[in-house]
Amino acid sequence: MNNTFNINRFGKILKHDGLNFFPNIILALAIIWAIPVIVFLFTSLMPSDETTQLYDPFSRIDIISTLSTIVLIIAPARLYKTCNDPRKGIVYAMLPASTLEKFLSMVFYCVIVTPIIYIVGALAIDTILALLNGPYEGFAVSYYFDTFAKINAVFERDNITIDESWILYYKSLSPTFMIVLSALGTLTISSIFMFGNMIFKRHKTGKMIGILIIMFIIFMIVLINYAVHTEVLTHNIEDKAEFVKYTIFLIMNAIFYAEIIVSALMLFGVYRKIKTQKY
Amino acid sequence: MIKINNLDFAYNNTQVFKNISLEFQKGNIYGLLGENGVGKTTLLKIICGLQKPQNGSVSVDGFTPSKRLPEFLQNVFLLPEEVITEDTTPERFIQKIGVFYPRYDFALFNQLMGELEVDLSKKFNELSHGQKKKAWLACALSLQTDYLFLDEPTNGLDIPSKALFRQVISQHCSDESTIIISTHQVKDVENLIDPIVILDRDDVLLNASFAEITEKIYFEYGPERLQNAYYTEMLPGGYINVMPNTEHEESNVNIEALFNAVMKNKETIKNLMK
Repeated sequence: MNNTFNINRFGKILKHDGLNFFPNIILALAIIWAIPVIVFLFTSLMPSDETTQLYDPFSRIDIISTLSTIVLIIAPARLYKTCNDPRKGIVYAMLPASTLEKFLSMVFYCVIVTPIIYIVGALAIDTILALLNGPYEGFAVSYYFDTFAKINAVFERDNITIDESWILYYKSLSPTFMIVLSALGTLTISSIFMFGNMIFKRHKTGKMIGILIIMFIIFMIVLINYAVHTEVLTHNIEDKAEFVKYTIFLIMNAIFYAEIIVSALMLFGVYRKIKTQKY
Repeated sequence: MIKINNLDFAYNNTQVFKNISLEFQKGNIYGLLGENGVGKTTLLKIICGLQKPQNGSVSVDGFTPSKRLPEFLQNVFLLPEEVITEDTTPERFIQKIGVFYPRYDFALFNQLMGELEVDLSKKFNELSHGQKKKAWLACALSLQTDYLFLDEPTNGLDIPSKALFRQVISQHCSDESTIIISTHQVKDVENLIDPIVILDRDDVLLNASFAEITEKIYFEYGPERLQNAYYTEMLPGGYINVMPNTEHEESNVNIEALFNAVMKNKETIKNLMK
Protein backbone atom coordinates (compact mmCIF):
# COMPACT_ATOMS: atom_id res chain seq x y z
CA MET A 1 0.00 0.00 0.00
CA ASN A 2 1.26 3.46 -0.87
CA ASN A 3 1.21 5.36 2.39
CA THR A 4 2.09 8.74 0.85
CA PHE A 5 -0.52 9.20 -1.84
CA ASN A 6 -3.25 6.99 -3.20
CA ILE A 7 -5.81 8.37 -5.62
CA ASN A 8 -8.69 6.29 -4.21
CA ARG A 9 -7.93 7.40 -0.67
CA PHE A 10 -7.59 11.00 -1.85
CA GLY A 11 -11.02 10.70 -3.43
CA LYS A 12 -12.38 9.46 -0.11
CA ILE A 13 -10.89 12.32 1.88
CA LEU A 14 -12.18 14.81 -0.72
CA LYS A 15 -15.63 13.29 -0.34
CA HIS A 16 -15.33 13.30 3.47
CA ASP A 17 -14.31 16.96 3.57
CA GLY A 18 -16.88 17.76 0.89
CA LEU A 19 -19.68 16.33 3.02
CA ASN A 20 -18.57 18.66 5.84
CA PHE A 21 -18.17 21.62 3.49
CA PHE A 22 -21.67 23.06 3.13
CA PRO A 23 -22.86 22.47 6.71
CA ASN A 24 -19.78 24.29 8.01
CA ILE A 25 -19.63 27.29 5.70
CA ILE A 26 -23.01 27.88 4.12
CA LEU A 27 -24.24 30.23 6.86
CA ALA A 28 -21.11 32.41 6.62
CA LEU A 29 -21.37 32.48 2.81
CA ALA A 30 -25.06 33.36 2.98
CA ILE A 31 -24.35 36.31 5.27
CA ILE A 32 -21.59 37.59 2.96
CA TRP A 33 -23.74 37.06 -0.14
CA ALA A 34 -26.51 39.02 1.55
CA ILE A 35 -24.41 42.21 1.90
CA PRO A 36 -24.86 43.45 -1.73
CA VAL A 37 -28.55 42.50 -1.54
CA ILE A 38 -28.95 44.61 1.60
CA VAL A 39 -27.16 47.54 -0.07
CA PHE A 40 -29.44 47.12 -3.09
CA LEU A 41 -32.61 47.00 -1.03
CA PHE A 42 -31.52 49.89 1.19
CA THR A 43 -30.71 52.09 -1.81
CA SER A 44 -33.88 51.07 -3.68
CA LEU A 45 -36.11 51.85 -0.72
CA MET A 46 -34.66 55.34 -0.21
CA PRO A 47 -36.64 58.18 -1.87
CA SER A 48 -34.98 58.72 -5.25
CA ASP A 49 -33.82 62.07 -6.66
CA GLU A 50 -30.87 63.21 -8.79
CA THR A 51 -28.45 62.60 -5.93
CA THR A 52 -29.41 58.95 -5.49
CA GLN A 53 -26.24 56.97 -5.74
CA LEU A 54 -25.89 54.50 -8.57
CA TYR A 55 -23.40 51.69 -8.21
CA ASP A 56 -21.34 50.99 -11.31
CA PRO A 57 -20.08 47.43 -11.91
CA PHE A 58 -16.50 48.35 -10.96
CA SER A 59 -17.47 49.53 -7.48
CA ARG A 60 -19.39 46.28 -7.07
CA ILE A 61 -16.41 44.26 -8.30
CA ASP A 62 -14.33 46.01 -5.62
CA ILE A 63 -16.91 45.02 -3.02
CA ILE A 64 -17.04 41.42 -4.28
CA SER A 65 -13.21 41.25 -4.27
CA THR A 66 -13.04 42.61 -0.72
CA LEU A 67 -15.71 40.19 0.45
CA SER A 68 -13.95 37.30 -1.31
CA THR A 69 -10.85 38.15 0.76
CA ILE A 70 -13.00 37.92 3.88
CA VAL A 71 -14.27 34.55 2.67
CA LEU A 72 -10.68 33.36 2.21
CA ILE A 73 -9.84 34.55 5.71
CA ILE A 74 -12.70 32.80 7.45
CA ALA A 75 -12.80 29.61 5.36
CA PRO A 76 -10.09 27.54 7.15
CA ALA A 77 -11.52 28.18 10.61
CA ARG A 78 -15.04 27.41 9.38
CA LEU A 79 -14.12 24.26 7.47
CA TYR A 80 -11.41 22.78 9.67
CA LYS A 81 -12.00 24.41 13.03
CA THR A 82 -11.76 21.17 15.03
CA CYS A 83 -8.83 19.54 13.27
CA ASN A 84 -6.33 20.54 16.01
CA ASP A 85 -8.80 20.37 18.89
CA PRO A 86 -7.46 18.02 21.60
CA ARG A 87 -10.82 16.21 21.76
CA LYS A 88 -12.72 16.79 18.55
CA GLY A 89 -9.63 16.63 16.36
CA ILE A 90 -9.00 12.97 17.20
CA VAL A 91 -11.43 11.73 14.54
CA TYR A 92 -9.70 13.83 11.87
CA ALA A 93 -6.20 12.82 12.99
CA MET A 94 -7.11 9.14 12.98
CA LEU A 95 -8.80 9.12 9.59
CA PRO A 96 -6.85 6.59 7.53
CA ALA A 97 -5.53 9.02 4.93
CA SER A 98 -1.98 10.26 4.54
CA THR A 99 -0.82 13.69 5.65
CA LEU A 100 -0.36 14.68 2.01
CA GLU A 101 -3.92 13.64 1.11
CA LYS A 102 -5.40 15.54 4.08
CA PHE A 103 -3.26 18.56 3.26
CA LEU A 104 -4.22 18.61 -0.44
CA SER A 105 -7.88 18.25 0.41
CA MET A 106 -7.62 21.15 2.88
CA VAL A 107 -5.91 23.31 0.26
CA PHE A 108 -8.48 22.32 -2.35
CA TYR A 109 -11.44 23.39 -0.24
CA CYS A 110 -9.89 26.51 1.33
CA VAL A 111 -8.03 27.91 -1.67
CA ILE A 112 -10.07 26.75 -4.64
CA VAL A 113 -13.59 25.59 -3.83
CA THR A 114 -14.59 28.23 -1.28
CA PRO A 115 -13.59 31.34 -3.28
CA ILE A 116 -15.01 29.90 -6.51
CA ILE A 117 -18.35 29.13 -4.88
CA TYR A 118 -18.42 32.57 -3.28
CA ILE A 119 -17.51 34.45 -6.48
CA VAL A 120 -19.91 32.46 -8.67
CA GLY A 121 -22.69 33.06 -6.16
CA ALA A 122 -21.83 36.73 -5.73
CA LEU A 123 -21.74 37.35 -9.49
CA ALA A 124 -25.01 35.48 -9.97
CA ILE A 125 -26.66 37.59 -7.26
CA ASP A 126 -25.18 40.76 -8.79
CA THR A 127 -26.52 39.79 -12.24
CA ILE A 128 -30.02 39.18 -10.85
CA LEU A 129 -29.95 42.50 -9.00
CA ALA A 130 -28.64 44.33 -12.08
CA LEU A 131 -31.55 42.95 -14.10
CA LEU A 132 -33.96 44.60 -11.71
CA ASN A 133 -34.71 48.26 -12.07
CA GLY A 134 -32.55 49.51 -9.24
CA PRO A 135 -29.31 51.25 -8.33
CA TYR A 136 -27.04 48.59 -9.87
CA GLU A 137 -25.90 49.69 -13.34
CA GLY A 138 -24.31 47.21 -15.75
CA PHE A 139 -23.14 43.70 -14.95
CA ALA A 140 -20.13 43.04 -12.72
CA VAL A 141 -19.71 39.65 -14.38
CA SER A 142 -18.88 41.39 -17.71
CA TYR A 143 -15.72 42.93 -16.26
CA TYR A 144 -14.79 40.66 -13.36
CA PHE A 145 -12.27 38.59 -15.28
CA ASP A 146 -11.00 41.42 -17.52
CA THR A 147 -8.34 43.00 -15.34
CA PHE A 148 -7.22 45.64 -17.86
CA ALA A 149 -10.71 46.83 -18.64
CA LYS A 150 -11.29 47.05 -14.89
CA ILE A 151 -8.10 49.09 -14.29
CA ASN A 152 -8.78 51.42 -17.22
CA ALA A 153 -12.35 51.96 -16.14
CA VAL A 154 -11.33 52.72 -12.57
CA PHE A 155 -8.72 55.22 -13.79
CA GLU A 156 -11.25 56.87 -16.07
CA ARG A 157 -13.91 56.90 -13.41
CA ASP A 158 -11.61 58.41 -10.78
CA ASN A 159 -9.94 60.70 -13.31
CA ILE A 160 -6.47 59.42 -12.49
CA THR A 161 -3.93 61.29 -14.58
CA ILE A 162 -0.87 61.36 -12.33
CA ASP A 163 1.19 59.56 -14.82
CA GLU A 164 0.25 57.50 -17.82
CA SER A 165 3.47 55.54 -17.78
CA TRP A 166 2.43 53.24 -14.99
CA ILE A 167 -0.83 52.48 -16.76
CA LEU A 168 1.34 51.56 -19.68
CA TYR A 169 3.46 49.50 -17.35
CA TYR A 170 0.39 47.62 -16.16
CA LYS A 171 -0.61 47.09 -19.76
CA SER A 172 2.81 45.71 -20.56
CA LEU A 173 2.21 42.88 -18.11
CA SER A 174 0.85 39.73 -19.64
CA PRO A 175 -2.66 38.54 -18.72
CA THR A 176 -1.07 35.29 -17.57
CA PHE A 177 1.13 37.19 -15.13
CA MET A 178 -1.88 39.05 -13.78
CA ILE A 179 -3.78 35.78 -13.31
CA VAL A 180 -0.75 34.22 -11.59
CA LEU A 181 -0.42 37.30 -9.35
CA SER A 182 -4.09 37.16 -8.46
CA ALA A 183 -3.98 33.40 -7.79
CA LEU A 184 -0.85 33.86 -5.74
CA GLY A 185 -2.56 36.54 -3.66
CA THR A 186 -5.47 34.17 -3.03
CA LEU A 187 -3.06 31.38 -2.07
CA THR A 188 -1.09 33.66 0.25
CA ILE A 189 -4.09 34.93 2.20
CA SER A 190 -5.58 31.47 2.42
CA SER A 191 -2.33 29.78 3.45
CA ILE A 192 -1.70 32.35 6.20
CA PHE A 193 -5.12 31.69 7.70
CA MET A 194 -4.84 27.93 7.17
CA PHE A 195 -1.65 28.07 9.20
CA GLY A 196 -3.37 30.20 11.87
CA ASN A 197 -6.14 27.62 11.96
CA MET A 198 -3.57 24.90 12.69
CA ILE A 199 -1.57 26.70 15.36
CA PHE A 200 -4.35 28.30 17.39
CA LYS A 201 -6.98 26.35 19.28
CA ARG A 202 -9.45 29.22 19.81
CA HIS A 203 -10.21 32.60 18.20
CA LYS A 204 -8.09 31.38 15.31
CA THR A 205 -8.93 34.07 12.74
CA GLY A 206 -8.85 36.94 15.24
CA LYS A 207 -5.44 35.93 16.58
CA MET A 208 -4.01 35.61 13.08
CA ILE A 209 -5.37 39.04 12.09
CA GLY A 210 -3.82 40.45 15.28
CA ILE A 211 -0.44 38.97 14.41
CA LEU A 212 -0.64 40.36 10.85
CA ILE A 213 -1.49 43.84 12.17
CA ILE A 214 1.47 43.74 14.56
CA MET A 215 3.77 42.54 11.78
CA PHE A 216 2.47 45.25 9.46
CA ILE A 217 3.09 47.96 12.09
CA ILE A 218 6.64 46.68 12.69
CA PHE A 219 7.24 46.52 8.93
CA MET A 220 6.00 50.09 8.44
CA ILE A 221 8.16 51.41 11.31
CA VAL A 222 11.23 49.74 9.79
CA LEU A 223 10.35 51.01 6.31
CA ILE A 224 9.75 54.61 7.43
CA ASN A 225 12.96 54.58 9.47
CA TYR A 226 14.81 53.31 6.44
CA ALA A 227 13.27 55.96 4.18
CA VAL A 228 14.06 58.78 6.62
CA HIS A 229 17.62 57.67 7.20
CA THR A 230 18.41 57.14 3.54
CA GLU A 231 16.62 60.44 2.69
CA VAL A 232 14.90 58.70 -0.21
CA LEU A 233 11.80 60.83 0.26
CA THR A 234 13.62 64.14 0.27
CA HIS A 235 15.68 63.54 -2.85
CA ASN A 236 14.97 65.76 -5.77
CA ILE A 237 13.76 63.31 -8.32
CA GLU A 238 14.15 64.71 -11.79
CA ASP A 239 12.06 62.24 -13.69
CA LYS A 240 9.05 61.65 -11.46
CA ALA A 241 7.26 59.51 -14.04
CA GLU A 242 10.25 57.21 -14.26
CA PHE A 243 10.49 57.13 -10.46
CA VAL A 244 6.81 56.13 -10.09
CA LYS A 245 7.20 53.46 -12.76
CA TYR A 246 10.34 52.10 -11.13
CA THR A 247 8.74 52.10 -7.68
CA ILE A 248 5.70 50.22 -8.92
CA PHE A 249 7.96 47.75 -10.67
CA LEU A 250 9.83 47.18 -7.41
CA ILE A 251 6.64 46.83 -5.38
CA MET A 252 5.07 44.42 -7.86
CA ASN A 253 8.18 42.26 -7.85
CA ALA A 254 8.55 42.44 -4.08
CA ILE A 255 4.90 41.40 -3.64
CA PHE A 256 5.31 38.60 -6.17
CA TYR A 257 8.34 37.06 -4.47
CA ALA A 258 7.07 37.74 -0.95
CA GLU A 259 3.82 35.95 -1.81
CA ILE A 260 5.70 32.93 -3.13
CA ILE A 261 7.90 32.75 -0.02
CA VAL A 262 5.07 33.37 2.46
CA SER A 263 2.75 30.85 0.75
CA ALA A 264 5.46 28.19 0.65
CA LEU A 265 6.34 28.70 4.32
CA MET A 266 2.74 28.75 5.48
CA LEU A 267 1.76 25.68 3.46
CA PHE A 268 4.78 23.80 4.73
CA GLY A 269 3.76 24.81 8.26
CA VAL A 270 0.22 23.52 7.67
CA TYR A 271 1.57 20.20 6.34
CA ARG A 272 3.91 19.82 9.33
CA LYS A 273 1.12 20.60 11.78
CA ILE A 274 -1.21 18.02 10.21
CA LYS A 275 1.61 15.48 10.42
CA THR A 276 2.80 16.20 13.94
CA GLN A 277 -0.19 17.69 15.78
CA LYS A 278 -0.50 16.16 19.27
CA TYR A 279 -3.89 15.43 20.80
CA MET B 1 1.06 -7.22 18.57
CA ILE B 2 1.81 -4.00 20.39
CA LYS B 3 5.37 -3.65 21.67
CA ILE B 4 6.45 -0.79 23.90
CA ASN B 5 10.13 -0.58 24.74
CA ASN B 6 11.78 1.78 27.23
CA LEU B 7 9.11 4.42 26.74
CA ASP B 8 9.67 7.89 28.16
CA PHE B 9 6.95 10.46 27.96
CA ALA B 10 6.34 13.82 29.65
CA TYR B 11 3.89 16.67 29.28
CA ASN B 12 6.16 19.73 29.51
CA ASN B 13 7.85 19.15 32.90
CA THR B 14 5.50 16.46 34.15
CA GLN B 15 6.96 13.01 33.66
CA VAL B 16 4.27 10.45 32.85
CA PHE B 17 6.25 7.39 31.76
CA LYS B 18 9.86 6.64 32.50
CA ASN B 19 11.48 3.69 30.80
CA ILE B 20 8.44 1.45 30.70
CA SER B 21 8.22 -1.68 28.57
CA LEU B 22 5.04 -3.56 27.82
CA GLU B 23 3.48 -5.96 25.33
CA PHE B 24 -0.11 -6.51 24.25
CA GLN B 25 -0.78 -9.81 22.46
CA LYS B 26 -3.41 -10.18 19.74
CA GLY B 27 -6.81 -11.69 20.38
CA ASN B 28 -7.27 -10.44 23.94
CA ILE B 29 -9.42 -7.93 25.74
CA TYR B 30 -7.01 -6.10 28.00
CA GLY B 31 -8.04 -4.20 31.08
CA LEU B 32 -5.80 -1.19 31.57
CA LEU B 33 -6.00 -0.12 35.20
CA GLY B 34 -4.28 2.49 37.28
CA GLU B 35 -4.86 5.36 39.66
CA ASN B 36 -5.96 8.76 38.37
CA GLY B 37 -3.23 10.52 36.44
CA VAL B 38 -0.89 7.56 35.92
CA GLY B 39 -1.18 7.91 32.16
CA LYS B 40 -3.75 5.36 30.99
CA THR B 41 -5.27 7.75 28.45
CA THR B 42 -1.82 8.98 27.45
CA LEU B 43 -0.69 5.40 26.84
CA LEU B 44 -3.69 4.80 24.57
CA LYS B 45 -2.95 8.04 22.71
CA ILE B 46 0.69 7.04 22.24
CA ILE B 47 -0.34 3.63 20.88
CA CYS B 48 -2.76 5.36 18.48
CA GLY B 49 -0.13 7.86 17.32
CA LEU B 50 -1.85 10.89 18.81
CA GLN B 51 1.16 11.55 21.04
CA LYS B 52 4.80 10.92 20.32
CA PRO B 53 7.13 9.39 22.92
CA GLN B 54 10.21 11.40 23.85
CA ASN B 55 12.31 8.26 24.07
CA GLY B 56 11.87 4.57 23.44
CA SER B 57 9.83 2.85 20.80
CA VAL B 58 6.24 1.85 20.22
CA SER B 59 5.37 -0.64 17.51
CA VAL B 60 1.93 -1.86 16.45
CA ASP B 61 2.23 -4.79 14.03
CA GLY B 62 5.54 -3.30 12.92
CA PHE B 63 4.17 0.23 12.40
CA THR B 64 5.37 3.27 14.31
CA PRO B 65 2.08 4.87 15.42
CA SER B 66 3.36 8.46 15.52
CA LYS B 67 3.95 8.32 11.74
CA ARG B 68 0.18 7.95 11.31
CA LEU B 69 0.45 5.97 8.11
CA PRO B 70 -2.92 5.15 6.51
CA GLU B 71 -2.12 1.42 6.55
CA PHE B 72 -1.71 1.65 10.33
CA LEU B 73 -4.65 4.00 10.94
CA GLN B 74 -7.11 1.76 9.09
CA ASN B 75 -6.51 -0.92 11.71
CA VAL B 76 -6.91 1.14 14.87
CA PHE B 77 -9.75 3.08 16.45
CA LEU B 78 -9.83 5.03 19.69
CA LEU B 79 -13.05 5.75 21.51
CA PRO B 80 -12.16 8.61 23.87
CA GLU B 81 -13.60 9.04 27.35
CA GLU B 82 -15.36 12.26 26.45
CA VAL B 83 -17.48 11.40 23.48
CA ILE B 84 -17.29 13.83 20.62
CA THR B 85 -20.52 15.56 19.73
CA GLU B 86 -21.00 15.66 15.97
CA ASP B 87 -23.81 17.65 14.41
CA THR B 88 -24.91 14.62 12.43
CA THR B 89 -26.62 11.28 12.94
CA PRO B 90 -24.44 8.30 13.87
CA GLU B 91 -25.57 6.69 10.61
CA ARG B 92 -24.31 9.56 8.45
CA PHE B 93 -21.14 9.81 10.50
CA ILE B 94 -20.26 6.14 10.09
CA GLN B 95 -21.03 6.27 6.35
CA LYS B 96 -18.65 9.22 6.10
CA ILE B 97 -15.71 7.61 7.87
CA GLY B 98 -16.47 3.92 7.27
CA VAL B 99 -15.26 4.01 3.66
CA PHE B 100 -11.70 4.42 4.94
CA TYR B 101 -11.77 1.13 6.86
CA PRO B 102 -11.44 -2.06 4.78
CA ARG B 103 -13.62 -4.28 7.03
CA TYR B 104 -16.29 -1.67 7.84
CA ASP B 105 -19.74 -3.26 7.85
CA PHE B 106 -22.80 -1.01 7.71
CA ALA B 107 -25.17 -3.92 8.41
CA LEU B 108 -23.20 -4.65 11.57
CA PHE B 109 -23.51 -1.00 12.57
CA ASN B 110 -27.30 -1.16 12.22
CA GLN B 111 -27.35 -4.44 14.15
CA LEU B 112 -25.25 -2.94 16.96
CA MET B 113 -27.39 0.19 17.13
CA GLY B 114 -30.37 -2.10 17.55
CA GLU B 115 -28.67 -4.25 20.18
CA LEU B 116 -27.56 -1.17 22.10
CA GLU B 117 -31.01 0.37 21.76
CA VAL B 118 -29.88 3.67 20.26
CA ASP B 119 -32.32 5.86 18.33
CA LEU B 120 -31.08 5.88 14.72
CA SER B 121 -32.94 9.02 13.74
CA LYS B 122 -31.33 11.35 16.27
CA LYS B 123 -28.17 13.38 15.82
CA PHE B 124 -25.26 12.84 18.21
CA ASN B 125 -25.92 16.17 19.89
CA GLU B 126 -29.56 15.22 20.48
CA LEU B 127 -28.65 11.98 22.28
CA SER B 128 -28.09 11.63 26.03
CA HIS B 129 -24.53 11.05 27.25
CA GLY B 130 -25.08 7.31 27.63
CA GLN B 131 -26.79 7.03 24.23
CA LYS B 132 -23.92 8.94 22.64
CA LYS B 133 -21.42 6.52 24.17
CA LYS B 134 -23.37 3.57 22.85
CA ALA B 135 -23.68 5.12 19.39
CA TRP B 136 -19.91 5.68 19.31
CA LEU B 137 -19.36 2.12 20.45
CA ALA B 138 -21.55 0.86 17.59
CA CYS B 139 -19.51 3.00 15.18
CA ALA B 140 -16.23 1.73 16.63
CA LEU B 141 -17.18 -1.95 16.51
CA SER B 142 -18.66 -1.75 13.00
CA LEU B 143 -15.28 -0.60 11.65
CA GLN B 144 -13.88 -4.01 12.68
CA THR B 145 -10.37 -2.74 13.20
CA ASP B 146 -7.66 -5.05 14.52
CA TYR B 147 -7.12 -2.76 17.50
CA LEU B 148 -9.84 -1.01 19.43
CA PHE B 149 -9.03 1.27 22.34
CA LEU B 150 -11.81 2.18 24.74
CA ASP B 151 -11.13 4.89 27.30
CA GLU B 152 -13.52 4.66 30.26
CA PRO B 153 -16.26 3.21 28.05
CA THR B 154 -18.75 2.54 30.84
CA ASN B 155 -18.66 6.03 32.38
CA GLY B 156 -22.13 7.49 32.13
CA LEU B 157 -23.82 4.22 31.17
CA ASP B 158 -26.78 3.05 33.22
CA ILE B 159 -26.87 -0.50 34.64
CA PRO B 160 -28.72 -2.15 31.71
CA SER B 161 -26.42 -0.37 29.27
CA LYS B 162 -23.35 -1.70 31.07
CA ALA B 163 -24.68 -5.22 30.62
CA LEU B 164 -25.34 -4.47 26.93
CA PHE B 165 -21.84 -3.09 26.64
CA ARG B 166 -20.29 -6.30 27.99
CA GLN B 167 -22.55 -8.34 25.73
CA VAL B 168 -21.67 -6.58 22.47
CA ILE B 169 -17.96 -6.44 23.26
CA SER B 170 -17.74 -10.15 23.97
CA GLN B 171 -19.92 -11.01 20.96
CA HIS B 172 -18.09 -8.90 18.43
CA CYS B 173 -14.50 -9.46 19.53
CA SER B 174 -12.67 -11.88 17.25
CA ASP B 175 -9.45 -13.87 17.70
CA GLU B 176 -7.71 -11.41 15.41
CA SER B 177 -8.74 -8.28 17.26
CA THR B 178 -7.27 -6.71 20.35
CA ILE B 179 -9.32 -4.51 22.62
CA ILE B 180 -7.76 -2.41 25.35
CA ILE B 181 -10.21 -1.03 27.88
CA SER B 182 -8.92 1.68 30.16
CA THR B 183 -11.18 1.96 33.16
CA HIS B 184 -11.71 2.77 36.81
CA GLN B 185 -14.96 0.85 36.88
CA VAL B 186 -13.45 -2.62 37.19
CA LYS B 187 -16.73 -4.20 38.23
CA ASP B 188 -18.26 -3.14 34.90
CA VAL B 189 -15.71 -5.16 32.97
CA GLU B 190 -14.93 -7.88 35.50
CA ASN B 191 -15.97 -10.83 33.35
CA LEU B 192 -14.84 -9.23 30.13
CA ILE B 193 -11.18 -8.37 30.51
CA ASP B 194 -8.30 -10.79 30.53
CA PRO B 195 -5.32 -10.06 30.83
CA ILE B 196 -4.93 -7.13 33.18
CA VAL B 197 -2.35 -4.37 32.99
CA ILE B 198 -1.84 -2.20 36.06
CA LEU B 199 0.04 1.03 35.47
CA ASP B 200 1.78 3.08 38.10
CA ARG B 201 3.63 6.35 37.82
CA ASP B 202 6.79 5.50 35.89
CA ASP B 203 6.14 1.76 36.01
CA VAL B 204 4.07 -1.22 34.87
CA LEU B 205 3.16 -3.11 38.01
CA LEU B 206 1.34 -6.00 36.40
CA ASN B 207 0.72 -7.42 32.95
CA ALA B 208 -0.71 -10.87 33.32
CA SER B 209 -3.63 -13.08 32.36
CA PHE B 210 -6.09 -14.37 34.96
CA ALA B 211 -4.46 -17.80 34.71
CA GLU B 212 -1.04 -16.35 35.44
CA ILE B 213 -2.42 -14.27 38.29
CA THR B 214 -4.23 -17.16 40.01
CA GLU B 215 -1.18 -19.34 39.62
CA LYS B 216 0.75 -17.01 41.89
CA ILE B 217 -1.92 -15.17 43.86
CA TYR B 218 -4.73 -16.70 45.86
CA PHE B 219 -8.02 -14.94 46.57
CA GLU B 220 -9.38 -16.28 49.79
CA TYR B 221 -12.92 -15.50 50.87
CA GLY B 222 -13.29 -16.29 54.59
CA PRO B 223 -14.52 -15.18 57.98
CA GLU B 224 -11.26 -13.68 59.18
CA ARG B 225 -8.46 -11.29 58.25
CA LEU B 226 -5.27 -13.25 57.47
CA GLN B 227 -1.91 -11.97 58.65
CA ASN B 228 0.15 -13.01 55.61
CA ALA B 229 -2.27 -11.42 53.09
CA TYR B 230 -1.04 -8.74 50.72
CA TYR B 231 -4.37 -7.06 51.10
CA THR B 232 -7.52 -7.67 53.08
CA GLU B 233 -10.89 -6.12 52.59
CA MET B 234 -14.07 -6.56 54.53
CA LEU B 235 -16.99 -7.81 52.45
CA PRO B 236 -20.56 -8.54 53.54
CA GLY B 237 -20.26 -11.82 55.44
CA GLY B 238 -16.51 -11.91 55.80
CA TYR B 239 -13.21 -10.90 54.28
CA ILE B 240 -11.39 -11.23 51.02
CA ASN B 241 -7.69 -11.90 51.48
CA VAL B 242 -5.27 -11.52 48.60
CA MET B 243 -2.28 -13.69 49.36
CA PRO B 244 0.56 -15.67 47.79
CA ASN B 245 -0.65 -18.92 46.25
CA THR B 246 1.79 -21.20 47.99
CA GLU B 247 -0.48 -24.25 47.80
CA HIS B 248 -1.25 -23.80 44.07
CA GLU B 249 -4.96 -23.62 44.75
CA GLU B 250 -7.51 -22.31 42.28
CA SER B 251 -9.45 -19.15 43.00
CA ASN B 252 -11.48 -16.45 41.31
CA VAL B 253 -9.82 -13.11 40.66
CA ASN B 254 -11.39 -10.15 42.37
CA ILE B 255 -10.01 -7.31 40.26
CA GLU B 256 -10.68 -4.57 42.77
CA ALA B 257 -8.95 -6.49 45.56
CA LEU B 258 -6.12 -7.40 43.20
CA PHE B 259 -5.67 -3.77 42.22
CA ASN B 260 -5.53 -2.64 45.84
CA ALA B 261 -3.13 -5.47 46.71
CA VAL B 262 -0.83 -4.46 43.85
CA MET B 263 -0.93 -0.80 44.84
CA LYS B 264 0.00 -1.66 48.45
CA ASN B 265 2.73 -4.17 47.57
CA LYS B 266 4.14 -2.79 44.36
CA GLU B 267 7.60 -4.31 44.36
CA THR B 268 6.58 -7.58 46.02
CA ILE B 269 3.85 -8.41 43.53
CA LYS B 270 5.87 -7.13 40.60
CA ASN B 271 8.70 -9.47 41.52
CA LEU B 272 6.27 -12.30 42.24
CA MET B 273 4.74 -12.04 38.76
CA LYS B 274 8.07 -11.92 36.92
